[in-house]
Amino acid sequence: MTKNSETTAGIYKETLLAGLWRENPVFRLLLGMCPTLAVTAAVKPALTMGLSVIFVLLCSNIVVSLMRNLLKPHLRILMFTLTISTFVTIADLFLKAFVPRMSETLGPYVPLIIVNCIIICRAEACASKNSLAVSIIDALGMGVGFTLTLCVLAGIRELLSTGMIFEAKVMPDWFVPWAAMRMPVGAFITLGLLLGLVNVLSRKKA
Amino acid sequence: MYRQEVNHVPKIKYFVQQSWLLIVCSFFFGLLLAIANAAWSPRIEQNRINKLNDLAGRLIPKAKDFVPLDKLGVTIEVKSLKGPKKKVDVYKAVTGDACFGWTFNAVGSGFQDKIELVVAVDKDFKTIAGFDVLASNETPGFGDKIKGDEFRNQFKGKPAAQLELIKSGEAKDNKILVISGATISSEAVIEIINHSISQVKRQMQEKGLLGNDKE
Repeated sequence: MTKNSETTAGIYKETLLAGLWRENPVFRLLLGMCPTLAVTAAVKPALTMGLSVIFVLLCSNIVVSLMRNLLKPHLRILMFTLTISTFVTIADLFLKAFVPRMSETLGPYVPLIIVNCIIICRAEACASKNSLAVSIIDALGMGVGFTLTLCVLAGIRELLSTGMIFEAKVMPDWFVPWAAMRMPVGAFITLGLLLGLVNVLSRKKA
Repeated sequence: MYRQEVNHVPKIKYFVQQSWLLIVCSFFFGLLLAIANAAWSPRIEQNRINKLNDLAGRLIPKAKDFVPLDKLGVTIEVKSLKGPKKKVDVYKAVTGDACFGWTFNAVGSGFQDKIELVVAVDKDFKTIAGFDVLASNETPGFGDKIKGDEFRNQFKGKPAAQLELIKSGEAKDNKILVISGATISSEAVIEIINHSISQVKRQMQEKGLLGNDKE
């Protein structure tokens, strides 16, 4: 911990940066692998998934942080799950009502945010022990970190599998779409290579 | 062993002490969900109807309205390829009083997952007006070509009798040319269409919505 982290602003900054890089949920904590592998065939669904996770994470961190002093230790996981499932259901209904196409593309993966370990991990590790402000910043940091990671992964896969990004063509005409990248195998290979790259980068830093 | 015995607290009081937050939150969250559902469920239902009308409208462009048979007081039930009888949503494609055809949903198993189709036929169930894929999970790049125009356009105007799959040659009469690399998906679509058309047709004739073939 640096000296910086002792002031309030320093703590906020540390918390925010932790989610974005040092404790990035996908690359460093390896949490939430299911949506990471499943919805990253294109950027749009990945972004929608990321935004839904930010919404749920933010709401659940706020609620858990507010009731942290009332929690009974042996009932806390039950309370977390109850809170999370409420907000996930709201997010799911919202997507169904306003972006029905996207909701169909994401299929069961939106309801599955309920069991996404990033959210329960942040409720347990951060929100149930910290003040409201820290919990909100933590949720934003982790959520944005997760979303960016998903978008990077999806960007690579969409580019290689269709030659497009955000459904706009960017590759030259001679490019042959690489169908395997749209399938699960593409997700595993891309994620593995990215994890390796992140490890190499962070080792140099340390 | 039990804490309530050690502390001499009555059981019910102990229960409330431990769980009041859970109970309060359950009520509160339940209320929240009820509000969200009440606010958005009409929209969700409208989205579903719009999607079906949109698909059906592209298959039978002449028709302006699609009237569900439920509204006419008829229920069509057919035996699915596997398993029990199921209700089929049949829609009558009309403009004013003129009937231009029928559309209905059909389900069957594909290569990896079930395939859900919307099938459109002309008003006598003689020729196929087309079909579209509502939901499927076929292999990207191969089986998912069943959604493509190249494959789907073959079905337009084909006799609604028994379609046949061919591996090469020209797709004439009741023949449908296979998608290269996706024989199982192509077969599945044809099987679903053949099965559902004959079943729905028989049911509709029994219920008097459709004349017999001999007439």
